[in-house]
Amino acid sequence: MTPNAAPASSGPSRRSFLASSAVATAAVAGGMPLLAACGGSDGGSRDGTTSGKDAEKILPAYVASNVVTPDIPSRNGSAVGFTGKLDLADLKTSVPKKLGKGNKVTVMSPFWGSPPKDGNAYYKAMNDLIGVDVVWQNQDGNTYDQKLGAVLASSEVPDVVVVPGWNMTGRIPSAVIGKFADLGPYLSGDAVKDYPNLAAIPTDAWQRSIFGGKLRGLPMPSSYVSGIVPLYRQDVFEKEGYEVPRSCDEFMALAKDATNARAKRWACLDMKWTAFNAFGVLSGNEKSLGWNEVDGKLIHRIETDEYLEALEWTRKLFAAGVVHPDAELGKSNAADPGPKFAAGEFLIYNQDISQWWSRTAEQATQNPEFKIWGMDFFGHDGGDPALWAQNPASIFAFVNKKASEAVIRDVLAVANVTAAPYGTKEYMATNYGVEGTHYTVKDGVPTKTDQGNIDVMNAYVMIASPAATIAHPDFPEVAKGQVEWQQRMGAFTRKPSFYGMQITEPARYTNLSNDFEQLEDDVVRGRKKIADMQQAVSDWKSKGGDELRDWYRKILDENGPAAG
Amino acid sequence: MSHSTVPRTDTEAEAKNNRPAARGGAGSAKQPPAAGQSLRLRLKRDRVLLLMTLPAVLLVLLFNYVPILGNIVAFQEYDPYISDNGVVSILNSPWVGLENFQRILEDSAFWNAVRNTLVLFILQLVLYFPIPILLALLINSVVRPRVRAISQAILYLPHFFSWVLVIAVFQQIFGGAGILSQLLRAHGYDGLDIMTDPGTFKFLVTAESVWKDAGWGIIVFLAALASVSPDLYEAAAMDGAGRWRRMWHVTLPALRPVIALLLVLRVGDALTVGFEQILLQRDAVGPGAAEVLDTFVWWNGVRNQDFGYAAAAGLVKGVISLGLVLAANKVAHLMGEQGVYKK
Repeated sequence: MTPNAAPASSGPSRRSFLASSAVATAAVAGGMPLLAACGGSDGGSRDGTTSGKDAEKILPAYVASNVVTPDIPSRNGSAVGFTGKLDLADLKTSVPKKLGKGNKVTVMSPFWGSPPKDGNAYYKAMNDLIGVDVVWQNQDGNTYDQKLGAVLASSEVPDVVVVPGWNMTGRIPSAVIGKFADLGPYLSGDAVKDYPNLAAIPTDAWQRSIFGGKLRGLPMPSSYVSGIVPLYRQDVFEKEGYEVPRSCDEFMALAKDATNARAKRWACLDMKWTAFNAFGVLSGNEKSLGWNEVDGKLIHRIETDEYLEALEWTRKLFAAGVVHPDAELGKSNAADPGPKFAAGEFLIYNQDISQWWSRTAEQATQNPEFKIWGMDFFGHDGGDPALWAQNPASIFAFVNKKASEAVIRDVLAVANVTAAPYGTKEYMATNYGVEGTHYTVKDGVPTKTDQGNIDVMNAYVMIASPAATIAHPDFPEVAKGQVEWQQRMGAFTRKPSFYGMQITEPARYTNLSNDFEQLEDDVVRGRKKIADMQQAVSDWKSKGGDELRDWYRKILDENGPAAG
Repeated sequence: MSHSTVPRTDTEAEAKNNRPAARGGAGSAKQPPAAGQSLRLRLKRDRVLLLMTLPAVLLVLLFNYVPILGNIVAFQEYDPYISDNGVVSILNSPWVGLENFQRILEDSAFWNAVRNTLVLFILQLVLYFPIPILLALLINSVVRPRVRAISQAILYLPHFFSWVLVIAVFQQIFGGAGILSQLLRAHGYDGLDIMTDPGTFKFLVTAESVWKDAGWGIIVFLAALASVSPDLYEAAAMDGAGRWRRMWHVTLPALRPVIALLLVLRVGDALTVGFEQILLQRDAVGPGAAEVLDTFVWWNGVRNQDFGYAAAAGLVKGVISLGLVLAANKVAHLMGEQGVYKK
């Protein structure tokens, strides 16, 4: 597929096409004229994907860096794991010379938890290390989608904006292409060798960073195994003699057993994501991951029976009263679930795998009995789960296209430090902060201080990261648990048809599936019926879903399915 | 909002307004010009007043009238991301005629939002609007200044809390794991989750509004009550009118113009029913119960970046609101009140 040109030049063809095509509701005349707009022959279009020779031209060269050999090598798509002791004197320096030139760089990024104050010791130390004045504009990660569109529509877009793939709803992909700089001149081919830590980022993560035919993103590489883990209070399970459930029925029985509302204890939060995995529903993480070819026909996740079954089972959990009332609030509940989990108000919730460690570290000093652990996904009927891969990079940092070359270079200087691999001083600074202030080391085990737990949260890691790494010298058993969980789950994970591709859907389909997440939340909370969902799916088909299927079919025919 | 800001253009009002100016020593005002005088003379006479209104007029122009031009995107498939300059984006976005409006008419979510908005408006009119009047009468009947000041302060206070705080407090008390529910559970009853019940959501929203703003709303009524001459009460008492008759025949008639004015303004605002308050609770009960026109516009415009569609919905809302305010004003005139304006 041909990469698209700059937005300005895409004007006429796109405009005339949009003017003639009715958006969603109005009847759209046959598929033919629409399909012509897809990638292929139309040099001016923004949609489609970039692969093959076109991609090779812009991808950065890969130069592996082997600072430390991992204790647990990657298997089944897992991250590499490090479980050894830490020797500060042994840390390598991966950025010998400060690359930053002292420019001010504003960064808007999603943040999960409570952001630390501006100018805290961690931010200062990182900025000194890099030589760039990074100013953070952290936004609540749970409602990031509600702010992103407005910020990008304004004329005051920050220098760097971090966008997770799951927030690329509506017209955000169009904004990414229209508002952010082409980093190709700085990174394509051998140019990336100026930034050795970026050169060590795996190529499949860079492949995902091509938006609208140009290399625009700085990726956060990730394991393709589900990032969502059902996390549970292992200490409470052991004390109460609960067994980890291995089927939906067992989960339900356990949940009923564990719930005692009178004592302010419920079994879990909203388990929708776990249910999707238990029933083998295609990923909703990114639009293109929702499609898969079955017997020569492309099927979308919302069309499957499994999707409805997963929602129905989650609904039963809510109806049984085993879900903490806070979860009823959905996204209206702005509170961090951490404290209530620590207080034992609920015992199971599903969240990003990173919380397995961050909750452990948070509670280690004040709550020594607390033990959080990851539960294996179960097949709904007690068999093996059928899991679907997520993409090998799902979070990207973009640079404002109005930024000067000096600012872009400084952003890359930041990325080159934050992407430093495990075993380097830069990795330690990015992930643990300043020794003495944010962590102390005793017998090769770093322990985060209270200030470390406040200051050193997800900020700098959002700019760019090394190849998926799990290293927690403070809690090596957690690192081991996480990697082994990924390896066990990786064995059940398959890649859907469009795995690994960065696909931008045509503008006329952008709003087609906007409201499904909301409808899911309505259904599981009993406010809407499964029949309403079925109605929405049939509307989706007639309003463009079937055309979208044809559009994806064309991409599949041109690029071939993902390997595996 | 006080009725002194109401613009009056009839000569009688002008003459009245002029009196203080004369006292202030503006020479030309010694002989108030009669109606029909040339515009130039009138401009000259009122120049100080006009000058003083200028900043406000400029602000209104800049922040209320200039943005109206942006409604043009309602007729476009607007994409704000094709340029950093909004005007350039508008010029380069494709025209779609009335398509967005057609979509609105066919969108059940829009009609659901209209229905929720109207139901909420009527609920608030019935359950909320009279409360400040009653409170004002109550406060007005308190004689001791100290008690009066303290109770007024307590009534005003919630107005200064942000909605986030108000809703968090309600959640802590009435939520599924809140004080009330845990108390019920401790005594063997089932918990009660008022905050996530779509059926009673509109009453909840009204209750929150009353708690937060009803106290603040009494200010205008208190001012109107203060202007009632004590002579009237004395005269009524002399004629043998009891407490209730005095209220019925003296107090309420004195409040009538203010009530009518606020009612007209409220009707004009009928379709604006607490954007922030409802947005914060939208996901707690789902859009089916909580979506109002303002959140509908927000969801489609800001969240989904379907700006043209959202602008069209906003425009429809604006037109309906204009119709409502004109109708309400007409009714006020028929009742013999000033209303918001008079021809």
